[in-house]
Amino acid sequence: MHLGASPDAGKKYSEKRKNEIWDSFRKVIEVCRREETDLLLIAGDLFHRQPLLRELKEVDAMFGSIPHTQVVLVAGNHDYIKKQSYYRNYAWNQNVHMILSDEVSCIQLPTMNLAVYGCSYYEKENQESLYEQIELKDICRYHILLAHGGDASHLPFRKTVVDEIGFDYVALGHIHKPEVLIPNRMAYAGALEPIDRNDIGAHGFVRGILDPSGCRISFVEHAEREYVHLDVPVDEKMTGYDLHTRIDELIGQRGVQNMYCLSLEGRRDPDVAFDLSQMDTFGNVLEIMDHTRPAYDYEKLLGRNQENLLGRYIASFEGAEADSTEYAALCEGVQALLDTRREQT
Amino acid sequence: MKLRELKLKNFGKFHDKSIQLQDGINVICGENESGKTTMHTFIKAMLFGLERGRGRASAKDTFSRYEPWEYGNYYSGELKFQSNEKDFCLQRNFDKYSKSVKLYCETDGEELSPEDGDLEMVLDGLTASSYENTLCIGQLHAATNQALAAELKNYATGYYMTGDSDIDVSAARAELFEKKKEADREAREMLQRKERKREALEQEAAHIWRDIHYMDSELKEVELELQYRDVDEVEEEPAEEVPTSRWRVHPLEIVAIIGACILLLCVLPGPWNSLVTTVVIVLGIIYIWNRMKVGKRKAKTEEVAEELDVGEELISTEKLRWKKEQLTNMRKEKQIEYENLQESLRELDHMSMDYREVDRKREALMLAISRLDMLTSEMQKQMEQVLNRKASAVMEKLTDGRYSRLVINDSLHMHVWHENQQIAVEQLSQGTLEQIYFALRMAVADLLYAEDYPIILDDTFAYYDDTRLERAMAWLAESGRQVLLFTCHHREGELLKKMNIAYTDIRL
Repeated sequence: MHLGASPDAGKKYSEKRKNEIWDSFRKVIEVCRREETDLLLIAGDLFHRQPLLRELKEVDAMFGSIPHTQVVLVAGNHDYIKKQSYYRNYAWNQNVHMILSDEVSCIQLPTMNLAVYGCSYYEKENQESLYEQIELKDICRYHILLAHGGDASHLPFRKTVVDEIGFDYVALGHIHKPEVLIPNRMAYAGALEPIDRNDIGAHGFVRGILDPSGCRISFVEHAEREYVHLDVPVDEKMTGYDLHTRIDELIGQRGVQNMYCLSLEGRRDPDVAFDLSQMDTFGNVLEIMDHTRPAYDYEKLLGRNQENLLGRYIASFEGAEADSTEYAALCEGVQALLDTRREQT
Repeated sequence: MKLRELKLKNFGKFHDKSIQLQDGINVICGENESGKTTMHTFIKAMLFGLERGRGRASAKDTFSRYEPWEYGNYYSGELKFQSNEKDFCLQRNFDKYSKSVKLYCETDGEELSPEDGDLEMVLDGLTASSYENTLCIGQLHAATNQALAAELKNYATGYYMTGDSDIDVSAARAELFEKKKEADREAREMLQRKERKREALEQEAAHIWRDIHYMDSELKEVELELQYRDVDEVEEEPAEEVPTSRWRVHPLEIVAIIGACILLLCVLPGPWNSLVTTVVIVLGIIYIWNRMKVGKRKAKTEEVAEELDVGEELISTEKLRWKKEQLTNMRKEKQIEYENLQESLRELDHMSMDYREVDRKREALMLAISRLDMLTSEMQKQMEQVLNRKASAVMEKLTDGRYSRLVINDSLHMHVWHENQQIAVEQLSQGTLEQIYFALRMAVADLLYAEDYPIILDDTFAYYDDTRLERAMAWLAESGRQVLLFTCHHREGELLKKMNIAYTDIRL
């Protein structure tokens, strides 16, 4: 959820982005109310940082408004339980169950004949593979693991090992991108809203049904906006105006509400210099990287200038990778040499 | 490469004019306005095309200048030449409606496609600019000797440093430098932006820190008061039994002291009474003062309690306890907020993707500059040796050994050597400067092109005296190159005849 985060969202949205994340969470509560959801699982990182008391109260009030739904949550690496944390002795509503232990323990929900396993973070990192060592207690019909982490420094686990333990479903958090590890058995729900400009693609939550015939899950898109990394193709004929129009067009197609990291790719007219500060029509562009290269035909130039400085300059960079500093130096140098050529009379 | 035939179908003043060229020296002689420059523009236009300028510039460009006088839409020509022992025919239409270029290899009977670079291949890398700068020699365009020397130097330094007089290394370097400065500025701005963000966070943190401190001191006061009350509560019972009087020193005490004084004054005899009385008064004052001090301290603590609790002493201990709890909670909340901000500050150091990009650009520019410097000095050394040698050879020939060596030193000063004496070019006559220019061009042409291209001389020898002209002719004949000599004088032809050198005479 990462409540309290205020990610960069372009000049138009950055201010209100923090509230949007809260709104998004509120809407999930609405969904639970409408659908009379039995169980809401929050796999860590409910808050982006240490929760304040008033924030906990706010969240608790929201949970309290859906008494039918049983809420189970753990603390993740972002809102890990510090010495001073309010998580330690906050009195939640009756339908809210937080697993506070740092060892995997389980919470029983007899009405559903369900046991939810999980543990909370007490440090920012934890490299033990706690999840692989769980043994199921034969107390309930259904077993769910609510886990946070999965990378090397956050409770690492092998999915096959965890799967063999015999959970009906493993609900995963920590990785922001939604991903199904084992169909209908193990999945990252991903962040409800994208939190970082690199959280590209759709975001939302996982909706599942668990009954005697097994578990069936589906991903539900929920985020208001998404970060989009767009390559903008540039060619030799494009002027700054053309580029601006093109960017507007691409953003229009992909959705004005989204947030963009643009990368200009291709070859540009060597005489054109784009003014990148003027390209953000909708206020939703976070950055524009200019990866274009001036449209010189280096081989041809080299052929024509075998014996002079220009030719030697090009030759001295032979074999430079297209993405390397050397290549960039080649482009800059050639452009400077050609730009300053003495006019022929 | 050798030019065989120029066919000016419709170009400038010429209409269906055809000129056959031979090996060796071709003297193309014509009076002023007979079309020598047109002819030689024609060769260039045939080889490299004729681009039409845009907008206002078009009124005076080469295209308009040589637009045919009649039948403007028919603007074309044909050039036959020999390259690598194969005959080629190049046809061009210059006019805007039927602009086209065709290239045939007559030996193989094959049509080539100039659009795909076949012409460039046949010309073996010869470009319009290098053609103008080496093979095609006019006069130096400058009015004074000083300016002439400057232009010569300009030309020479271009070659010495870059191998191409068109390339201006110092300007290129300046451009790169400017760009680097720009990138530096961008990087600085980025750092500043980040710094501003950091400052804002730090300021917020400082605010909270102040709040925490304020709460700390408030808490301390409340705690103090509570402590005081705890002690008071134990002592309260007896304190209430004896209601403390409003007087800090009981009036009876004062009356007693005053009474004692009078008594002593009256009872004691002679001079002793006043002394003893004074001592008693002093003791009395000390006693009263002491009592006053104790009283003050008590009053002060009462005042503190009053300040804390607006409702004077009436605020209940219960309420104070509640206040203490409230303050503790608020303080904790602030503390967490403060720590969260500190965490944000620490994370700020990780996010600098943009900065890396700018940094890379700066690195690239720096690399470009250093590479350019390195290659330039390398080139200069190499060119110095070869060009100096070659140009010196030509120069020696032209001046019959008068100037045996042409030297360009590291600081690009140009000298000639005459009988163990070094003479700066600025001191030479215009004729000699022209000859150095010629020598340099010949040396460059020799150096740059493996193939022998024809040399085109446009009134190059106007300033030569007869002796040096003779030597120049001899040198040209010896070089074995095809030479196209445009002139408005007859003296070149006459001289060649006198020297028994075979040449082709063409009159316009």
